[in-house]
Amino acid sequence: MARFISRRLLLSLLTLWLLATIVFIIANVLPNDVGRTILGPFAPQESVDALNERLGTNRPLFVRYAESIGGIITLNFGKSFVSGQPVLPTLIDAIIRSAKLAGLALLITIPVAISAGLYAARRRDRPVDRGIVLLGVTSSSIPEFITGTILVVVVGVQLKLLPVLATPPPDADIPTQIRYLLMPATAMAIVYFGYIARMTRAGTIDVLQSDYTRTAAMKGLTTTQTMRHHVLRNALIPTVAVIAVQIGYLFGGIIAVEKIFNYNGMGQTMLFAAQRKDLPMLTAGVLIIGIVYMIATLIADMTIAWMNPRIRLDAGR
Amino acid sequence: MDYSELDKVRRRTTPLQLDVVDSFVNGRLSRREFIQRGTMIGLSMASVSAIIAACGGTTTSSAPAASGKTGGRIRAAVQRPVSVDPVAMQDLGGYGITAQSFEFLTTQNTIGDPGGLAPGLATEWSPNADGTVWTFKLRQGAKWQHDGSPFTSADVVATMERLVAAGNSGLKGVLDKGGAVATDANTVTFTLVGANGNFPYLVSIYNAQTLITPADYVAGTKFNDRPTGTGAWKLVKYDQASGATFDRNPDWWGGKTPLDGTEWIFFDATGPMITAYQGGQVDAIVQFDVLTGASLLDDANFSLIATPAALHRQIWMRCDTGQFAKKEVRQALALSFDRPALITQLFKGRAELGNDHVIWQGYPYFDASIPQRVQDIDKAKSLLSAAGVTNLTADLHVGQLQEIPDLAALLKSQAAQAGITLNPVVESLDTFYGAQWCPAEPADPPCSGASELGVVDYGHRATPDVYLNAALKSKGIWNSSQYSSPEFDAAFTQFQAAVGVDAQKAACTKIETILNEDVPVGLPYFYNYLAGNSNKFTGVFSSALGQMSFSQTSQV
Repeated sequence: MARFISRRLLLSLLTLWLLATIVFIIANVLPNDVGRTILGPFAPQESVDALNERLGTNRPLFVRYAESIGGIITLNFGKSFVSGQPVLPTLIDAIIRSAKLAGLALLITIPVAISAGLYAARRRDRPVDRGIVLLGVTSSSIPEFITGTILVVVVGVQLKLLPVLATPPPDADIPTQIRYLLMPATAMAIVYFGYIARMTRAGTIDVLQSDYTRTAAMKGLTTTQTMRHHVLRNALIPTVAVIAVQIGYLFGGIIAVEKIFNYNGMGQTMLFAAQRKDLPMLTAGVLIIGIVYMIATLIADMTIAWMNPRIRLDAGR
Repeated sequence: MDYSELDKVRRRTTPLQLDVVDSFVNGRLSRREFIQRGTMIGLSMASVSAIIAACGGTTTSSAPAASGKTGGRIRAAVQRPVSVDPVAMQDLGGYGITAQSFEFLTTQNTIGDPGGLAPGLATEWSPNADGTVWTFKLRQGAKWQHDGSPFTSADVVATMERLVAAGNSGLKGVLDKGGAVATDANTVTFTLVGANGNFPYLVSIYNAQTLITPADYVAGTKFNDRPTGTGAWKLVKYDQASGATFDRNPDWWGGKTPLDGTEWIFFDATGPMITAYQGGQVDAIVQFDVLTGASLLDDANFSLIATPAALHRQIWMRCDTGQFAKKEVRQALALSFDRPALITQLFKGRAELGNDHVIWQGYPYFDASIPQRVQDIDKAKSLLSAAGVTNLTADLHVGQLQEIPDLAALLKSQAAQAGITLNPVVESLDTFYGAQWCPAEPADPPCSGASELGVVDYGHRATPDVYLNAALKSKGIWNSSQYSSPEFDAAFTQFQAAVGVDAQKAACTKIETILNEDVPVGLPYFYNYLAGNSNKFTGVFSSALGQMSFSQTSQV
């Protein structure tokens, strides 16, 4: 297992370097005028030139690249071009906010979706199975911004049951924070319910049809024992992989949901940085999202390896 | 006419002030223009009211004075500030937040018709005879929040030095380094580069960076890093992610505010502001547009503040080359505009007619005698025919901003009636500004790489100098139409040097006439700045530049 993790970590570092290089190229090689973008179209050219000089955006490309990679290694991402504040604390705040939202969304989605998927698989082709499949397809077909808007109008504006803004007051306790995040998390959960439920259902049906499940049933194990010891471990492997990818996606920020609920998570922070050509913020943000993706997939791989010894043995070779 | 009362005021006035008083008395200025012009050149509201009363009129309040309960807080929705550095900020969010604690020398007049100036940290101001030197008497008793030290002329001088060094767009070319001098602890004398009859506007709420900061304030300091000010509210919490909290400043020179404090909630888009108001999470909205906030216009519980402003769009047409080089073609396109329809469809009537020049009706020197251009398809066709132009087809470049893409679509259908085919090209703002409106290259003359036709946005200005100087003067830095007219340039120079009302009006008449005739830019409307609040509160005031004042606000 240690060897498996070491190899994955090394691969992750290589991926991060590639990611940093690609972000740098996209941000710096494409034609743009950082000073002009920050100061706006009506700023005098002298001010734009002075700002470019101060920010160092007119220095040679390789110098900026070396500085960028050096900053990543030392975790010194510099200061925001726009606000002048250090980048890292801003992004840490944003990722914590995104983590709260994503965490709540997953907390709602995972148990419900897995239960629904398992339930449907065990009642394959019955009305309840078809109902869950239909619900899953429908919910994953409706984008978050539609679901979010409907929730805002109905639950927030008409019924006034929940706040329409997701950002709680600064000193809010945990129940208050959950109350503020419940609507956007629900909007996200509705979409991911479909993916996870259908994946669980498909994986479970596959395993239920396998020889070893039939053998387990024939040797006299109860359905619960068969499900717990033979089906679940194998059936949930693809589901775990899907959840890992979704975690990275959720942390990366669901811009539409953040916009609708005025929540300043990673999505809005990154969008703002991209619009303003705030390169230090953009570079560091993409890297942090990349790291989250990698950690999520690493944990998923480890979980899958734990669930299925064959994968563990393959990785060890 | 009560001549004895009138003479009492006239005896106290400077020559320039006397000129304005006499212009009003003789009917050359309307009551609204008199309030705007009179307050700007230093007549106190008491003097303005006395003169209006002497002439048989009254001044009225534009918004109900605070008369409700004391205590409580108001929650305002504002766009997330990009910067709260008072010297360098460029966005409405920053303007709104900083103006809660810092104050201007002169501020928005909230008594009588809007648009004039009222005392802020200056209590009186007056020019010399030719308008080259302005003397400001400062308020005594104002204190800095951070240490309780008194506000003095040294703070004003240091602030002006910082602004001049930073190249403040309003003061550039008007005030040089060393131009502001402290005559005594409570008097500052501004010696200008040249005569300027609009100077008090340039150190007012309408030049948002001219907030007075302490003498030892360092340019580049963020307001939240060093919260202070002389104003009604003290910053107690600032979080870029969520918002800002202000408490009442008990030492404010203006007395005790009815509210205990204010909460400012930051937003990145207008839509969530509207739903937040409808969901009961905010009480006031600092700015919104008609298209996004249409539901608020008919909301009986929402007190709409629709401030007439010089906000407008310019439809530039290249005058030097291409299909619009002939004046008749530009006139033909302008004649195809159905302006009232545009105002109805895009702004639900919350705009004023434009007449293809940048002198807004709210300016005291606006000349209404220039005939309003109206849609005349037959005349447009005959002009095109006279110019020998057939099948005129052009791309209309616009940025993805507020109502502008819809404006382009409407212009397309209106121009089609005159046989002109416009193809709207909607682009991201970066692409639009950088590639269509005013590309950096070729740099001389500026904007000479601009497309032949497009729509660009202009914000509110208290005086039209920026529009005239940058967008229309020969080789102006934003002159995307490449308009070059010695006649116009001379009229603009005359306007800048003019100090008295008659001289400014005379210059503006020329400017309006020339621009209306030459049509380097089509200008179909000036639209209102929209803000508002729940009618659970009263006494809320809004400028057209993101500042919202709650110092007189109370709960109903």
